[in-house]
Amino acid sequence: MNLDFTPEEQAFREEARTWLAENLPTEERPPDGQPMREFDLAWQKTLFEGGWAGINWPKEFGGKGLNDIQQMIWYEEFARADPPFTLNNSCTFVGNNHGGPTLIVSGTDEQKSFHLPKILGGEVVWCQGFSEPGAGSDLANLSCKAVIDGDELVVNGQKIWTSYAHVADYQELLVRTDPTAPKHKGISWVICDMKTPGIEIREITTMSHVNDFCEVFYDDVRIPLTNVVGQINDGWRVTMTTLSFERGTAFMADQVELASVVERLIEEARVRTGPDGKRPAIADDEIARRLALARAEVAALKAMTIAGISRTQRTGVPGPEGSMTRLFHGELHQRVYQLALDIIGPEALKLTPVDGNGWTGPYLQSFAYTIGGGTTDIQRNIVGERVLGLPRVK
Amino acid sequence: MDLLPTSEQEEIVGSIASVIAGNHTLGEPLDDRLWDAAVAQGWLGLGLEEAFGGVGYSLAEEVLLFQELGRACVPGPFLATVLAARVAAEAGETELAARLVAGEARVGLAERWNDEKFSVLDAESATIALLVDGGRVALVDLDGVALEHIPSFDTLVPVALAIDLDESAPLATAPDGEALLRRGALLVAAMLAGMARATTEQSVSYGIDREQFGQPVGGFQAVKHRCADMATRAEAAMCQVYYAALALRDGRDDAQFHAHAARVVAARAAIDNAQINVQNHGGIGFTWEHTAHRYVTRSRVYGSALGTTHGHLGETLAASAPH
Repeated sequence: MNLDFTPEEQAFREEARTWLAENLPTEERPPDGQPMREFDLAWQKTLFEGGWAGINWPKEFGGKGLNDIQQMIWYEEFARADPPFTLNNSCTFVGNNHGGPTLIVSGTDEQKSFHLPKILGGEVVWCQGFSEPGAGSDLANLSCKAVIDGDELVVNGQKIWTSYAHVADYQELLVRTDPTAPKHKGISWVICDMKTPGIEIREITTMSHVNDFCEVFYDDVRIPLTNVVGQINDGWRVTMTTLSFERGTAFMADQVELASVVERLIEEARVRTGPDGKRPAIADDEIARRLALARAEVAALKAMTIAGISRTQRTGVPGPEGSMTRLFHGELHQRVYQLALDIIGPEALKLTPVDGNGWTGPYLQSFAYTIGGGTTDIQRNIVGERVLGLPRVK
Repeated sequence: MDLLPTSEQEEIVGSIASVIAGNHTLGEPLDDRLWDAAVAQGWLGLGLEEAFGGVGYSLAEEVLLFQELGRACVPGPFLATVLAARVAAEAGETELAARLVAGEARVGLAERWNDEKFSVLDAESATIALLVDGGRVALVDLDGVALEHIPSFDTLVPVALAIDLDESAPLATAPDGEALLRRGALLVAAMLAGMARATTEQSVSYGIDREQFGQPVGGFQAVKHRCADMATRAEAAMCQVYYAALALRDGRDDAQFHAHAARVVAARAAIDNAQINVQNHGGIGFTWEHTAHRYVTRSRVYGSALGTTHGHLGETLAASAPH
């Protein structure tokens, strides 16, 4: 048990801090469409050229091959630099945290050499094609089907909640390739080129006024069999590999960023007039107590994140305990923004962007934190069944 | 950086747990055999420097000990006696420190009841009180002190009220009362984190064994999700307690904040989990025979020992930003 950073980790922190101070964009991120895509890819290119892309990707695939502690240091330094955008709120998220890592583990040499440099270098956007209207929490119930025809798969069906599909080049697409097999055994994981004929994308506006949430329709979309990752009908196993990254480090950035959000909110409560119209908000007992609790719980969240890293160091793979951290984070994140709206008073009448230092936009966006990437109900099932060993019952 | 116990520390935890299991029954008063075993194992001076007759481990190991004491809901004057040994040692009362580490005197925990009286936990067996009054921490002799024994909320933690507890001639006074209290608050937090884990374990085990509607009740999401929330609260408490222990041990400048935060998070986890654990057990959970109520009362008693959660929350916000 120790809280010490190694000299290498210390040096890494210094290096990251200096580089971020010189290279972090100062302009706001455009809210949607091509300008947003260009902004996100430009930042990824800057990262790549500065040698900061793929911090935890293996070196042989162009990453920095650093450990989870260094990954956490990077996120801490990013948050400390007071960026005008949120690290995970980017159309490069799926490529960096899902698609890329999945190819590294399960892809062919051709798939890796073609796609990985493009993802790291900020040339392409990836999106996820998992959820369907009839397959949300019950992901394995997916029905978007693919039939083998010669050396191609022919895909018909629909996907939904596909963030950034409208600006994406590739998609990690789950399709049903054997409708007669048990539901987990008939799924394949394929790379879908979003420019393929037969794909129609419709934007869905979220409650936080963002249009990057999409539904995707497939009408005889032909995908080469060489785009299958892993084996045909082995997609569920490939998917679980992807999701284990989510449990590991993919959401660490959000968890680290929340600490600076809480400190900013405490500052806000010091300068804003409180509910009595006279004293600062922080002088109000109820507000003070909720702020204090948020600060204590954010500290506990960081400790949980570090404990998760410590566990992974012992076992080699992120375990189901990560679902406790995600559950704790999602609900805490929401409580923090709920508190923010109680603190800012009449300012809550004004809509702010989902990114940046405003409060109302991020408040609306905070509803996603207990739904996206597996709802908190699913996280509770995982904790109950896979951490605690409670029975699975239909 | 590594927040979890090393394999050597895991061995210490394992040996503590087996000594407790062999000498203590949940729901029973402190068995003298456990007190003697604790002395033999050096628990009362586990984190105390060897020069003072301690074992010389750090706060990290002491936290692991108190987590196990909380988990097994062990009653008795462990907390106040361990803190008292440190007070005596730091005040230069080496002989007294040695007696305390040797378990020859048991120490009650005395805190303000109101303007006139002090409450004393474990007063029945104690001959000395660890008196906490504001930021002052002193050891006082209970010999000759008039004690009014009152019905105790936790029947295994006897409470007495002392009217004329004399602070004027203490056996020893902590040179740095605030530092002692921070350490104490963290040990309390460790006990509470252990309780939060124990009630999770009780609920999970009942959820697997108990069947209704033809299946284990732990399969129902209503129960399973409550258990998942309990586990998450227990995990948050444990992780923050470990973090705070290391921060205090290493003298980090945000250690105070982390100790207060640990105390806040652990008290909420212990109390919430203890309450929900009764609900998860249904009718049997409401009986005296079952042990679920032990954690309800114990978490309440220690959830307001060495400062209230309200007070620790205030300190959490007053501290400068942690890093």
